[in-house]
Amino acid sequence: MSQGSDPASKSNTPSDNLTRADQSHANSKTPPVPAPVSKPGTSAKDLSKKEAEPPAFEKGIIDRLVKEFGSKVRVLYIRPLRMKIAVDPADIVEIATHIRNALGFDHAESVAGTDYPKDNQIEVIYHLGSYGVPELEGHIMSLATRTSRDEARLPSLINVFRSVEYHERETFEMLGVFFEGHPRNDRFLLPEDWADIPPLRKEFRIKGR
Amino acid sequence: MTIVTLVVLPLIFIILFYVPLPLADGEVLTPYLFLSMVVDPTRTLPIIQFFMQTELFKVAVFPGFTYAALIAAVTIFVERKFLAKMQLRVGPLYAGKIEGIFQLLADGLKLVSKEIIVPSGADKLIFWAAPIAFVSTAAAVTALIPAAPGWVVADLDVGLIAVFAVFGFFPLIALLFSWASNSKYPFIGGLRALHQLIAFEIPFILSALSVVILAGTLNLTGIAEAQQQYWYILFLPISAFVFYISALAEVERVPFDLPEAESEIVAGWLTETSGMIYGLIQLGSYIKLYALSAIFVILFLGGWAGPQIFPQELGPPGEKTPLVQMLTLEGIYNPVQFNAVFWFTLKTFGVIMLMLLPRGINPRIRIDILLHTGWYKLIVLSFINIFIALALVYGGVFGPEGVLNSG
Amino acid sequence: MNRRLAERPESKIDDTVNMGMQVLKEYTADDDRLMTLSVGPQHPGSGHFRFTIKLDGDYIVYCDPDPGYVHRGEEKMCEYRNFIQNIPHLERPVIHDSANITYSYSLAVEELAGIEVPRRGQFIRALTSELDRQVYTLYWLAIYGIFLGHSTMFMWPTGDRELFIDLLDALTGARVTHAFNIPGGVRNDIPEGFKEKALRHIAYYEKRLKEYENIFYNNPLLRQRTEGVGVLTREDAVKLGVTGSVLRASGVSFDVRKAEPYDIYNEIDFKAQYMRSGDCFARAYVPFLDMKESCHIMRQLLDKMPASGEVRAKLQPNPKGPPGEAYRRVESGRGALGYYIVSDGTPRPYRVKISVGSFRNMLALPHLLVGAKLADMPSIYWALNYWPVEADR
Repeated sequence: MSQGSDPASKSNTPSDNLTRADQSHANSKTPPVPAPVSKPGTSAKDLSKKEAEPPAFEKGIIDRLVKEFGSKVRVLYIRPLRMKIAVDPADIVEIATHIRNALGFDHAESVAGTDYPKDNQIEVIYHLGSYGVPELEGHIMSLATRTSRDEARLPSLINVFRSVEYHERETFEMLGVFFEGHPRNDRFLLPEDWADIPPLRKEFRIKGR
Repeated sequence: MTIVTLVVLPLIFIILFYVPLPLADGEVLTPYLFLSMVVDPTRTLPIIQFFMQTELFKVAVFPGFTYAALIAAVTIFVERKFLAKMQLRVGPLYAGKIEGIFQLLADGLKLVSKEIIVPSGADKLIFWAAPIAFVSTAAAVTALIPAAPGWVVADLDVGLIAVFAVFGFFPLIALLFSWASNSKYPFIGGLRALHQLIAFEIPFILSALSVVILAGTLNLTGIAEAQQQYWYILFLPISAFVFYISALAEVERVPFDLPEAESEIVAGWLTETSGMIYGLIQLGSYIKLYALSAIFVILFLGGWAGPQIFPQELGPPGEKTPLVQMLTLEGIYNPVQFNAVFWFTLKTFGVIMLMLLPRGINPRIRIDILLHTGWYKLIVLSFINIFIALALVYGGVFGPEGVLNSG
Repeated sequence: MNRRLAERPESKIDDTVNMGMQVLKEYTADDDRLMTLSVGPQHPGSGHFRFTIKLDGDYIVYCDPDPGYVHRGEEKMCEYRNFIQNIPHLERPVIHDSANITYSYSLAVEELAGIEVPRRGQFIRALTSELDRQVYTLYWLAIYGIFLGHSTMFMWPTGDRELFIDLLDALTGARVTHAFNIPGGVRNDIPEGFKEKALRHIAYYEKRLKEYENIFYNNPLLRQRTEGVGVLTREDAVKLGVTGSVLRASGVSFDVRKAEPYDIYNEIDFKAQYMRSGDCFARAYVPFLDMKESCHIMRQLLDKMPASGEVRAKLQPNPKGPPGEAYRRVESGRGALGYYIVSDGTPRPYRVKISVGSFRNMLALPHLLVGAKLADMPSIYWALNYWPVEADR
């Protein structure tokens, strides 16, 4: 665990530690996202701590997950304290339940939706954290799934993680993603008479910009 | 100009023709005599003396409405300054040269000039009548309070019971006004006011009852006179405490201000008041505070009992020149009366300060805790006190054959 | 009144359905018995937030939060400005805790762009964060006092806040919304005489904290009103995913500064304060303990700060980083404030998602209010450390 071992390097880990196990994490119908270019770090210190392999503890967790689910789980990156996996919408409830029960991540810290019009997809990412398990303190497992922009439907994780209720509702109104199983896909932050497209979609332009 | 000559002057002459004019020093007070007073100011003294003996003076000036309103006005200002000092700030500062002394005047002017908004669907008759009834009831209580021996507007034999009877009218006014406001938050506030005021009527009456047992009379003047030697608070401290708490609840002061709890129910039963209606209700509230403090002083703190600090005569003895006569208030000055009024006012003011104090210390109480306190704890305490009073009477300390009888 | 609501079992979360909807279904038959109150934005007890409650007598049987009155589209606006230009408008959701909301953003941007912050800059950043934490918590405490009717507890913290606002004024030039943190460090260095002034203020403030305890936390009326009210058990707190002082009041000792120390917090010796009872009193007391702890932290920061050095990394005019994403969080006054930033290699972020403590804590509101008395409503609502503007972003 690199927590607290080297104060100088604790902050500002550069983003060249990306480990992409698989190029395509989208549905097989759509073209894959191009892999990011790995740029070298900006200072000498960064070059020295460029890790060729991901940290051991996080790798252990991901390995257990991959062992359980095989190819349904695509690992996108493993960094100190942050892990990201991508799943298909059909498997997400099952995998999320397993993550909650077996791995110990007991709440979802936030749910973010990102619009990728180039792939014609919307990615919804759940950031899961753990309050109960002391070793997982500070770790965030990001669970990402993608759905097409034209017919944006996803199964809701509300029965697995109760804390996604308002976040999913906000993603519904901001991006137009319908969560099946969520009791209220309703307006939340936007006014009741909002008659425009969901605001966080890329074709919605702020007036004057 | 024409209206004055054609209407007003004849009206004055007709009134003067029919109304019997008062006597002043053996002469009838005609307007010509009045104008001659301007020349010789000592002639006003008999007029003032005469005026002081009329009923109108007692009702309007002292100890009636003007006295109560003055004390209420001073209380409002002092409260704001006092609380401000407790809260590490200065309070009103800008209205008036010295420490914001005209703040009350400024507030009054502001309230008078505001529009009175009557909500649609409100019961107009009660909406307008209830604040006036509120102030009138508060003023009616002050009519029963003796401020000095002989100075009481209505000297009833059952004065104390009359006080409680009038106080029982307040919950009704609160409820009527909140119902007439036709809105949800006043509705909740009115019900809370009803619960609170009724719950604290009983400890209120019971704690005063123990004083009656010791004094032997229900007449307020009689109770005050029975304490010339020892004040009843020495013998009945629990009763004084219960009365104090009930008085705080009756006036709806913090910590008992839940009928107008600002953060829960906007302003409770006062939500829809605006402008002068709000001003009237605030005035009534502070007159009620004065009335309760005065009753506390009469029941427990000896009324006007106190050492005689005013001299027999204000000026040098013997024949006086007119100017000195005027300054020494000859004919009006009565040392016993002045002394009584002074001590009464001082004690009332002290009790008022004591009632203002919890506002700076405590948060608001919750309705179920309040009802529990009012119906269980305070009634038990006041019963304990009645037993103490009975023991004192039958033990021979008070009563007709008592040791400490001052009757 | 439906007794089932008054005596509820320990863990009241039903895993399958939103409890509010469930209760509403039970009560539609009794509709004329219930009174609907809109504790709306024009209410002295609600802030810029509305929630609808249905009352059965004095008990609340249904609560539906309705935020969005101050929604300004912060996340969308971030996509139109570059990384540095985002700082001033990102501060606006919490104007007096602005250091923390920009701190988290700066950390995420630094991770994306590979910027290294000088050590002295890290210390100053942490100091500003602690000062703003005090400013926010005192304001919250003042409003908590006035919600309960305690006007002295409204005036005292608001006055004592000036101590820290003065320090921020000397340090950054502005009282609130100072835009002092930028990706790469802080804007300016500490002025002369700041350390002595700060130590004086902190010493006076610690004396004042004792007075707060006497008049507020040891006040029997306050204890009567808040102890045992709105109990949030540990399991429910974890399931609902609440954060900050609400979580720590229910027995979970989780502080982001301890769980994943950012900047130099692993060199500072402090403890995460928590209580086990989970009622409103605990939720009101934990921030107070946090404030006391924050004074220790500030003293250590002032002591250990390097005597000289750069406070800001040199940046290109339009800093940008390789495409990627980052999720960083800090401990703000309300809880863990996280930023999820996706960058596509341009100077403007592709997506910024702000995960604020208030939005997460709002989930506990319907859960705690159902079954409570109306008089407990301000006490429970504000004890959730909910800042409406931040939740709306």
